[in-house]
Amino acid sequence: MNKAISTRLTFAVAILSLLIFIILWQVIAQQGLLVKNFPGSFKTIGSLIWWVSDPFFDNGPNDLGIGTNLLISLRRVLIGYSLAVLVAVPLGVLMGMSKLAQSSLNPYVQLLKPVSPLAWLPVGLFVFRNSEITGIFVIFITSIWPTLINTAFGVASINPDYLRVSKSLGASKSTTIRRVILPAIMPNILAGMRISMGTAWLVIVAAEMLLGTGIGYFIWNEWNNLSLENIFVAIIIIGFTGFILDQFFGFLQDKFDYSI
Amino acid sequence: MNKKSSKKSSSIENYSHLELFNLGKIFFKEKKFIDFRSKGNRSGFEAIKDINLKIEKNTFVSIIGPSGCGKSTLLNLIAGLQAPTSGKIVIDGQAIKGPGPDRGVIFQNYALMPWLTTIQNIEFALNTVFPAKTKADVKERARKYLRMVGLEKASNKFPKELSGGMKQRVAIARALSINPNMLLMDEPFGALDALTRSYLQDELLSIWRKNKVTVVLITHSIEEALLLSDKIVLMSSGPSAIISEEISVDLERPRDREKIEQDPNYLKIKMRLEKHLLRETRAVEEVT
Repeated sequence: MNKAISTRLTFAVAILSLLIFIILWQVIAQQGLLVKNFPGSFKTIGSLIWWVSDPFFDNGPNDLGIGTNLLISLRRVLIGYSLAVLVAVPLGVLMGMSKLAQSSLNPYVQLLKPVSPLAWLPVGLFVFRNSEITGIFVIFITSIWPTLINTAFGVASINPDYLRVSKSLGASKSTTIRRVILPAIMPNILAGMRISMGTAWLVIVAAEMLLGTGIGYFIWNEWNNLSLENIFVAIIIIGFTGFILDQFFGFLQDKFDYSI
Repeated sequence: MNKKSSKKSSSIENYSHLELFNLGKIFFKEKKFIDFRSKGNRSGFEAIKDINLKIEKNTFVSIIGPSGCGKSTLLNLIAGLQAPTSGKIVIDGQAIKGPGPDRGVIFQNYALMPWLTTIQNIEFALNTVFPAKTKADVKERARKYLRMVGLEKASNKFPKELSGGMKQRVAIARALSINPNMLLMDEPFGALDALTRSYLQDELLSIWRKNKVTVVLITHSIEEALLLSDKIVLMSSGPSAIISEEISVDLERPRDREKIEQDPNYLKIKMRLEKHLLRETRAVEEVT
């Protein structure tokens, strides 16, 4: 009962703050308080409704529905990201388990991790001569580090009791990896995957401004059209999609949280 | 003390269940990656040295000593989880090379896998040790051992839903399910409250009576050692701990924890143990 009231109250406060925000935005824009011709919230909401009501039209690469562009971006992210996870998890397990792997690979990880993945974009274009594959490649590079590092850390900090049990039973190395290490580090892997996905979703927008098509290119295209309200529409859509993706990983993390 | 020469016997039946010969363990400092400052000196920490011990089949032996004396190291060596620096461990006349399912190990912190339910924890052990067994067989056997420790109803619970005592009972069931003939216990009741500890000690005794196994129990509780053991092995303070004494506990079984305290023999051994532990603990405290 009490909890129901408090959730209702939270919801009401959120709605109220949204209304205030929309009205303030409209007033500031209408009065030209920021800059001239800044789109107001009413115009932006109108555009949002227009784009969302018919999201999947296709009138050539410079005139795609926002849903079509979103799917193009999501596809690139999912492919690059999945490939990254497929590489990062085994490599992370190897780095966590073997001193040799750790000391031979760690310098590269530490050196490459702080580099903006966009720096790899020209490299991708030169090697692949294909903007689609280059986009996927950039997302791959983006996604690999957090998952790799979290996985390796998870293995290195695994509760030694689990390994001792496994060893005392005479379990083989492969049994220990599959039955003990991988389940034990699931929380670490998922935490890494969540960060990877967050960063990938940030990077795809920037990468697509240079690559053509996708939600990032949509923003660039609308900048060329000087249509700021459409850019706001894209920002809202990108934010909402990122939120959903993050929530999905939050849900998975709760599922694999052994501590509670 | 058993010297090396007494071991070589012509009769196959003549060896004890577990024999330790001049066992020693030195922990060498591991050099860390990117740690150029530390020059690689190979001097290490000698935990135990010259441990000679014989344990007969189906007896209950407690190893007791001041904290930090290398009791756990000794147990890890017997379990095969660590390799000795010197000496050897012989089980049933065979020198051991590593861990094996002939020895069930019980850890102080229960060491249950938190992502597996109670019954799955036992099934993991069974599947690892008996890969040929069918699923139904494994399930049946896991259930049998859960029943033995009185936790059949908790079979689908996760470890986080169990009390410390229940967790340790699951760990005991897991260790026994693989049908070992030796049970190695590293302060199994140390983390439990006094009542739960008494309950589990009684439980352990009744299980031990039914399943004939050799038990090696590491403990720092004199009362626990006296209540449970046939023999108590006293260790000196570390580093370089040695076995300073072996005491036979000739108290009648089954032992009742109330009545036993009136036994003059019990009191005599208890006094002796307390004196030893006090002396060794003083040695530790005054050095450090």
